[in-house]
Amino acid sequence: MKRQTGNYIIVTLSALIMVLTVYIGTSWLKRVKVDMTEEKLYTLSDGSKTILGKLNTPLTLKLYYSKTSANKGTEGLRTFNNYFFYVRDLLEEYVAHSRNNLKLEVIDPRPDTKEEEDATTFGLKKFQLTETEKYFFGLVVENNVGTEKVIEFFDPGQQENLEYDLTRLIYSVINPRKKKVGILSSLPLLNEKLTPYMAQLMKMQGKPTKESWIITKLMKEFYNVSKVEDDTEKISGLDILLIAHPKKLPEQTLWAIDQYVLGGGKVLLFVDPYSIVDNVLSRGRPGGEKKSNLKKLMAKWGVELEEGKLAGDRYLSGIGRMNARMQPQRLLPLLECDQRCTNTHKDAISYKLGSMTFLYPGSLIVLDKEQKEKKIYPLLSTTEKGNSYKFSTWKLSDPKFLWDDFKEGNKSVQLGYKIVGKFESAFPEGVQIKRKGKDKKEKEVLLTGLKKSSKETAIIVFSDVDFIHDQFSFKTTIFGVSLNNDNSTLVLNSLEQLSGSKELMEVRSKGRFNRAFDVVNKIEFESEATTAKKVAEINTSIEKFEKELEQLGRMVNEGNIGLIQNEGIKKKKELTKRIALLKGELRDVKRKGREKIEELGSNLQYLNTLFMPSLLFIFGIFFHFKRKKGIKKDS
Amino acid sequence: MISHSVKTIFKKELKSYFATPLGYVFCVIFLFSIGYVTFESGKGSFFVLRQADLSSFFRYIPWLFLFLVPAVSMRLWAEERKSGTIELLLTLPVTVREAVLGKFLASWAFIGFNLLCTFPIVLTVLYLGDPDIFVILVGYLGAFLLGGAYLAIGCFFSALTKNQVISFICTVVFCYLLTMAGSPPILEFLSTFFHRYFLNLFESLSIINHFETMGRGVVRLGDLWFFAVIILAWLYGCEAILDEKKAS
Repeated sequence: MKRQTGNYIIVTLSALIMVLTVYIGTSWLKRVKVDMTEEKLYTLSDGSKTILGKLNTPLTLKLYYSKTSANKGTEGLRTFNNYFFYVRDLLEEYVAHSRNNLKLEVIDPRPDTKEEEDATTFGLKKFQLTETEKYFFGLVVENNVGTEKVIEFFDPGQQENLEYDLTRLIYSVINPRKKKVGILSSLPLLNEKLTPYMAQLMKMQGKPTKESWIITKLMKEFYNVSKVEDDTEKISGLDILLIAHPKKLPEQTLWAIDQYVLGGGKVLLFVDPYSIVDNVLSRGRPGGEKKSNLKKLMAKWGVELEEGKLAGDRYLSGIGRMNARMQPQRLLPLLECDQRCTNTHKDAISYKLGSMTFLYPGSLIVLDKEQKEKKIYPLLSTTEKGNSYKFSTWKLSDPKFLWDDFKEGNKSVQLGYKIVGKFESAFPEGVQIKRKGKDKKEKEVLLTGLKKSSKETAIIVFSDVDFIHDQFSFKTTIFGVSLNNDNSTLVLNSLEQLSGSKELMEVRSKGRFNRAFDVVNKIEFESEATTAKKVAEINTSIEKFEKELEQLGRMVNEGNIGLIQNEGIKKKKELTKRIALLKGELRDVKRKGREKIEELGSNLQYLNTLFMPSLLFIFGIFFHFKRKKGIKKDS
Repeated sequence: MISHSVKTIFKKELKSYFATPLGYVFCVIFLFSIGYVTFESGKGSFFVLRQADLSSFFRYIPWLFLFLVPAVSMRLWAEERKSGTIELLLTLPVTVREAVLGKFLASWAFIGFNLLCTFPIVLTVLYLGDPDIFVILVGYLGAFLLGGAYLAIGCFFSALTKNQVISFICTVVFCYLLTMAGSPPILEFLSTFFHRYFLNLFESLSIINHFETMGRGVVRLGDLWFFAVIILAWLYGCEAILDEKKAS
């Protein structure tokens, strides 16, 4: 009996020791880990470590998480609980690499406490779970002089950006001086006159607002952004000049840009052979070119935008429609770039960015391959089957024509370049400009300046401007505006490399990863290509019949109303019937395209559900009889 | 390192799974179920997500193991005790520890065999896209350790009772508790009785949290420690109970 009691005591004690050992052991050992993911998604990148290594002032990280409230919520909050552990562990890793400069405080703000009040004051997002319980999940970074930066809410859907968000927050606290970016653009990227308060006020009053683009607002988080007028004679005091869609710039502005670059100024340039955003924004004002170029200057920088040509690639083309009446289909001008466009170049600006959308991008070419004083690095390109193609405005509204007319190439088309080195002036003799004198009379003035670069500089060029527009880079969710793809990341990466903060860029260049079913995409693509012709034919017929119906309706007047009514009703019935028939045919054609994928799915499901069980079942029966036979023989 | 007795028991026990229909039935049910739930139509379905990873596959492993592993473990000792063969086994020149280890390792290898039999899903995902193969391998390691943890708990309850049904139910309940340890509603329920520190302690026992970390492709020493402690502690408990039975 004594032994029995002893054993039970041992078991009970073992259980207690087990629980404690698990708790203590997992708490101590959780930081020792091996990240087996190909992209090292769960390891602090070198960029973050370098930034943390440069820390020389103490910072406090206040992680607010309503753990108690979360436990009162639904099972669905388990995702947030798990994400909280992930965020906390990652922050502990930041602390470990900070040479004791970071301090982490985990706060569970309970209702009606100072912690809850603080969380609200810091501007963290709160969600009402019950009448009394509020849910917070955000971070505040504070330094000892009172500078504070905040992540309002940690969205589990944004996990791949978490390290970047955290490092950026710390970086912004330790680098309060923002670099200066000047924007020279023919598009309304920046509206300096409209403050956020005014914008809010105008929205409330239902007035249309012309706010800055979201990319500009995002840039303002890291840089001092100001406008550069398009008739300026001199550009100075900037760290980076962003030129977007430069259309017919006057000589004096070209001169200013030329001299700015020769003086060591850095440039981020977006040129575009056809800007759809420009087209939409200038609606109502017919005429006017939608293209932009800096041909004269770019020639000196070593690259050129192919005139009147767009870059296309059937294998990167996205699905969309040109207008509301059109059926969704693959559009050649809509280029959805993934890692096939970026990874071959292995440049930190674009490397591993896997989801970018370009509209009507142009083709960039290197003018002279043997550049002595400058190096040209490709950043972004189509696949090898891409090609450039001539276009005219009327062709652009006919996606079928563009698709059919396109010839696949055997060399990738370049969409972005980085040029580093020294340049020569595009105006070696200076430039003659007209300037108003004190007597308000125009005088010819000769501007002269540098003929060659005084120091090395860098220029980044992209052959599209539409991709930075709100509509193609961002989406609105219940948590606010969030990234739709890597478009804005590409822009910010470029700015960061130009501004010299490479460390922060290293963090971001992890990108987001989309391991899609390539086989399914290929089947979808091929089946769409085979059915596209039929779909187009049917759509044309439907359009024709619909027009006929409309026409019939328009023919009605007082004189012929009786006749038309009878005939019209008859014809209308007939046409409606034919349209219904064609629509049915269209459904059939589309279904055939889907069938292949569905068939593949079913086959794989059968393989994974039935193959091994059936095999084991057959083996089982076989061995059973074999054994039975053996037993009979033995007996 | 592993004694001859452990190897002998291991071989005998592993053979027994394939000598009776039980092993085959278990394999067939497991493989069919995991294939079915992975491809089931819904938002999380493997083919609907179109992502070349096995997250839809690993998501269901804990819940299938919750019922299938206790079904494997329930007979480990309970059957021996009921049929009286345990006395015979314990009079042989093997220690209780060796017997426990031999039987556990054989059952664990059987669970491992079942996981290996799911290789068509790996081939499927390799055919469909370009998955991160190391993440998949770490996921499998996590699933194997999870099976080991459930099995060790099952071993303990199988040694505790002669009745296989009771052993099964107790194992399911305990495994369920460990699986749900990180669940907000359960933590809230416990918070009415216990202090916050106890809740943290309880939450650290959550099997799913440790399993999910591995499913993401991260091997943390803390997670390996968790599974090692759980397996060894429950096996030690099993040995202590059998020791006690042997003595009495």
